[in-house]
Amino acid sequence: MMLGGVGNGDVGRISVIVSLWRSKSAAISMVFIVVLAVIGLLAPVIAPKDPTEIEIFREVNGETINPPFPPSGQNWFGTDQLGRDIFSRVLYAIRTSLVIGLLVRGGVMIVGVCLGLIAGYLPGVVAKATMRLTDVMLAFPALIIAMAVTAILGPSLSTVIIALVLVGWPDVTRLVYGQTLGIRASDYVVAARALGANNFRIIARHILPNIASPIIVAFSMGIPGAIMYEAGLSFFGFGIQPPMPSLGLIISDGRGYMTVAPWYTIFPGLTLVAIVLAFNFLGEGLIDVLDPRSK
Amino acid sequence: MLKFIGSRLLVLPLLLLLLSALIFALLYVLPGDPARIMAGEYASAETVDRIRVQMGFDRHPVIQYLTYVRDVLQGEWGRSYQSNRLVLEDIKQVFPKTIKITLVAEIMSIILGVSFGVLAAVRRNSWIDRSLMTVSVLSLSMPLFWLALLLQLLFAMRLGWLPPSGSGDLFSRYIILPALTLAIPSSGYLARITRAAMLDTQQADYVLTARSKGLREFSVITKHMLPNAWLPIISVIGVDLARLLAGVAIIEVIYAWPGLGKYAFDALAHRDFPALQASLNVLAAAVLFVNLGSDVLYGLADPRVRAEENA
Repeated sequence: MMLGGVGNGDVGRISVIVSLWRSKSAAISMVFIVVLAVIGLLAPVIAPKDPTEIEIFREVNGETINPPFPPSGQNWFGTDQLGRDIFSRVLYAIRTSLVIGLLVRGGVMIVGVCLGLIAGYLPGVVAKATMRLTDVMLAFPALIIAMAVTAILGPSLSTVIIALVLVGWPDVTRLVYGQTLGIRASDYVVAARALGANNFRIIARHILPNIASPIIVAFSMGIPGAIMYEAGLSFFGFGIQPPMPSLGLIISDGRGYMTVAPWYTIFPGLTLVAIVLAFNFLGEGLIDVLDPRSK
Repeated sequence: MLKFIGSRLLVLPLLLLLLSALIFALLYVLPGDPARIMAGEYASAETVDRIRVQMGFDRHPVIQYLTYVRDVLQGEWGRSYQSNRLVLEDIKQVFPKTIKITLVAEIMSIILGVSFGVLAAVRRNSWIDRSLMTVSVLSLSMPLFWLALLLQLLFAMRLGWLPPSGSGDLFSRYIILPALTLAIPSSGYLARITRAAMLDTQQADYVLTARSKGLREFSVITKHMLPNAWLPIISVIGVDLARLLAGVAIIEVIYAWPGLGKYAFDALAHRDFPALQASLNVLAAAVLFVNLGSDVLYGLADPRVRAEENA
């Protein structure tokens, strides 16, 4: 719990990055995330092959073999049943994962922080109603609800984002509610009110800056979850639709070839794990720097 | 204590009502014509109209919802649009399967998580501690569906030790793989919590006293540290059960385990709204009951919570 804002608000943006850099795992994960972002942006340039290029047979030692081809110098992650290069497909899919992770978590934060601030600042009926709503929302089987939303709205990139924001906000609302409640009664908020500041000013100038650290941590810690949920939705056919690339989709396609071409399922999954791990380590690093007391 | 439980019990019906209203809104009020979705893309206008009247979609949503609540309370859960069977009968058949797999997974998770957590705490900063914590982070960073595929590939297809999917009796080999998959991420989480809770007790006076009395390390751990570390562990088990219930659908679908999660998934895939609505309600209600149970359990375990609630 935060006991007021002393110290936290003073940490400038640059010094946060410097402190993060001192932690080995956070530094490595920052570099890795930057590399991922570059890969996502430049996938068409970096990818060794055209991800849609089909190769239906290959001559090996005078023998003709059919895809899926195993990993080799030519295809690092092997190929799928049509001979398409899985490594190149994965590079393209990383872009989808990152975009979804950032947009979903961004949307979740906007909704969650607003509701949490309102509930925390206006106790009574509003707070009770909001918190009961989060209780119920948190009880939902999130993945199936998200699937139902995309099924009803028609699965696509935008409906996946809507669905995941819809199931994601209650956690953040709870967090922000608790933090706001703790700060609402603090001396400087009482003083600001006594000086005649209106509610909007109090929230924007006094409460929000003082709960910025846990909000930033929650933003970063929630990105891997959003990425995994998108992969899950796409895996079950309720998320990203082909031809748009998605790691969940590749794994889903690979499932039918698991015994003959395990690389088809394993490499896209490992990529997913690497992305999730990088964001998790970054989040832990952020906790150490911004909000050490919460540990 | 009674007052504490009573206040929780009083809120429960309200939460259940809110829950069913939200699910109703999700399925029938969201943009999109439920009759059209149920009929399928290529159905004729007459078919769509027939479904609309048959399901009562032509009435005002509030009337529809109130009728639904009345029917559910009277035990009329409707018929599956897909199989025309009574939804309540279906749920009576599939729900126990889900409870079974969730409980087996929770037991596995507690056994693995607590013992790994204690081991890591006792040997803290050793290679054992570090590798256990690495595995725990890894287990939390894997999508459940992918972990399920990997374990299926390894234990069923490559090694052939366990059946890849399907179901059998409680004490059959079918339950091992799905329950283990479900248990792995939560045991990773429990191991971290247990380790932290054990390390917290390390500095306590009673542990120092026990050590200075010359008690063997084993007795210090089992008689003095673990009983005091239980509280945070218990509080997490409730959260954990709720999380298992959220993940169980993925496991049931991949391992073809005929439980409530798979039932909900199939209902969704067939746009079978009555079955989907009922299974979502039951799944979420189960989580609410688990939350209530863990609150009560926590209250029983920690007298301080009771005092706070009564104040």
